[in-house]
Amino acid sequence: MAVSAAADRPILDPARARPFPEAALPVLRDPQLRKNVAHAIDVIQGKRARLVAEKADWQALRASASRIKDVALQNLGAYLEEFEARCTAAGGVVHWAADASEARRIILDVLRAEKATEVIKIKTMTSAEIELNPFLEAAGIRAHETDLAEIILQLGEGEPSHIVVPALHVNRSQVREIFARRMGIEDLPDDPEALTAAARRVLRAKFLSVPTAISGANFLIAETGSVVVVESEGNGRMCLTLPRTLITLAGIEKVLPRFRDLEVMLQVLARSATGERMNPYTSLWTGVTAGDGPERFHVVLLDNGRSGILARERERQTLRCIRCAACMNACPVYRQTGGHAYGSVYPGPIGAILTPQLQGLRHAQSLPYASSLCGACYEVCPVKINIPEVLIDLRAQVTDQERQRARRFFDPLYLGLRVAHLVFARAWLFHAAQCLGRVGLRPFTRKDGWIHALPGVGAKWTETRDLRGLPQQTFHAWWAERAKGAK
Amino acid sequence: MNGGASSREQILERIQRATPGAAASAAALAEDYGALPRAYVRAGRLDADACVELMVHRLREYDAEVVECAAEELPGTIAAQLAASGRRSFVAPPGVPAEWLAAGFDWRIDHGLTAAEIEAAEGVVTAAFCGVADSGTIVLHHSASEGRRVLTLLPDWHLCILRASQVVETLPEYFGRAAGNQGSGDEKAGTRDLGTEGLGNCGHETGRLPRLVTWISGPSATADIEMTRIKGVHGPRFLHVIVVKDRKLGTQGPATQGLSVQ
Repeated sequence: MAVSAAADRPILDPARARPFPEAALPVLRDPQLRKNVAHAIDVIQGKRARLVAEKADWQALRASASRIKDVALQNLGAYLEEFEARCTAAGGVVHWAADASEARRIILDVLRAEKATEVIKIKTMTSAEIELNPFLEAAGIRAHETDLAEIILQLGEGEPSHIVVPALHVNRSQVREIFARRMGIEDLPDDPEALTAAARRVLRAKFLSVPTAISGANFLIAETGSVVVVESEGNGRMCLTLPRTLITLAGIEKVLPRFRDLEVMLQVLARSATGERMNPYTSLWTGVTAGDGPERFHVVLLDNGRSGILARERERQTLRCIRCAACMNACPVYRQTGGHAYGSVYPGPIGAILTPQLQGLRHAQSLPYASSLCGACYEVCPVKINIPEVLIDLRAQVTDQERQRARRFFDPLYLGLRVAHLVFARAWLFHAAQCLGRVGLRPFTRKDGWIHALPGVGAKWTETRDLRGLPQQTFHAWWAERAKGAK
Repeated sequence: MNGGASSREQILERIQRATPGAAASAAALAEDYGALPRAYVRAGRLDADACVELMVHRLREYDAEVVECAAEELPGTIAAQLAASGRRSFVAPPGVPAEWLAAGFDWRIDHGLTAAEIEAAEGVVTAAFCGVADSGTIVLHHSASEGRRVLTLLPDWHLCILRASQVVETLPEYFGRAAGNQGSGDEKAGTRDLGTEGLGNCGHETGRLPRLVTWISGPSATADIEMTRIKGVHGPRFLHVIVVKDRKLGTQGPATQGLSVQ
């Protein structure tokens, strides 16, 4: 099976991943994978559409959600300091990590102080962003994922392809194969119920015995210093209540000003993410509480490129993201390519804008082009991130960056664009070019007025679609003739 | 932590440079926040009966078992639910009324039970802080009658007692109650005594935000394998709810429903 072959393992490190068009090819050639992705997306999309339609105030909720995030981002420094003060007062320890390596080191230091040899984890894309698991593994600490999808990927040595349903590209018989092999269960049927029960049995023992846990955060509440985790399975509640020590890793953009802001966020998140009115479990906790839950609680606030995004006026909206994945479910490109092609733990339209920015545009420059700019992502986004607008702006930045590289001067594309600039800026040159084009294209234009095949570079167009032949008269010429005739 | 202080200053400085438009004072910040648009629905439109009906309907959509009863029928209804479950050993938080602990079953009260002891129980019985009809959500603030978080997590069967007066229609109405900015509605209806004497007090202090909250919408579930919804991954597989009609239904208009806060 492809999932286990290391050579085929998708690369989600933007620094090493191949450009999007290349990385997308294996999926486009794998009908099973495309079927799995399309099925999952159709189910979520249908549920989401039904539940959003029943909400008469959906647009008002979106407007509030996006503005709440805007105010939080606009005043991020003040709200983070407030969160830190409240969380500390409630018995939590707040750490600040400027980048991924610092976050990893802080977490390792805490785990070493706890003498931990293993740790249980709630699904957190932020930990995948900082590549925490392989780092802990190298330091001799075994990280056990506890979300069902994450277990499938961890045991199957696969990579997440979606931020809410990370294993949506794996079907039931593939899951059966992974579980049977890695859990050593011989006669495991392939119905999801039996597979889920198998995971429940295996994990229960871990929950009750491993004394340290790592979580992400959906929201941080400045007003109270609380952390909120949204989940479905209950593995989150297990990790948040049973261990002695809990470490939460959260991007600095997760902070909300006040407790009551959740009345908006919780209404839009589950509907957008899984097409439910509410997800089964949402947990909020504040520091440590005697007799209930962990005795020690650490929060690691991660920057890792986020303050750079904050500084750019048009791109700042990227940080509103609440990781619901509605954009990838709606995206016609994602539907065809699945998530691995994006070469990042954040795939889909939000990944196409978030990943290159988190990388300071040093990597993942092909991602802003991984879109048809149809705008479906913007329409479904519960916090109204205008993803096409950011994509276009990033394309401009990528282009500016490329233009500054000397070797780009003789690149055919840039050469062509410079010539075009020259021609379009001068009417006489433009008219001459039109004449030349008419004459030049005539041999390729068929009787039906269409060009079906072009040689050379032109074939890139005609391989996949026809081109209408140039009309024998320009509008200008026609207009001039008509005026003459009227006289 | 080592190096933490410098990174803290560095990150805050970067943020400060990135946000020249940040509010200059706490008052200005409060003003920014106060100007946020909130045109969404906050106060529910259903009357009390319809609101409870919706709550029950939503819970059943989540495959939760729901029964309704009058306040005086509660102990009997609990006993019947326990018997029908086919289970014998139960845990309960220390704050639940004694009459909830039906005779003929093994009860362990959570005065600091270990996780293994709770795990060994077949079911748990608790009160709740609030019910949100719109999404069929039960909210726990983990007071003495709602139990520690782990208590409603490890047993496979959860029986939750919800008073009709605790049911609000919208999520914003819950947040209004949680912030203690308004009465729970009970005082107006004059049913507070009834509520506290036989039904357990949620023990919530008004004007203070909760330290621990769990929002529960149906039994634990996953759809990670081919988007097929499977009940009960790690949390309780079975959620039973008894809705106690503790206020005279049909006599209250929307006016006595919890209004949202401003």
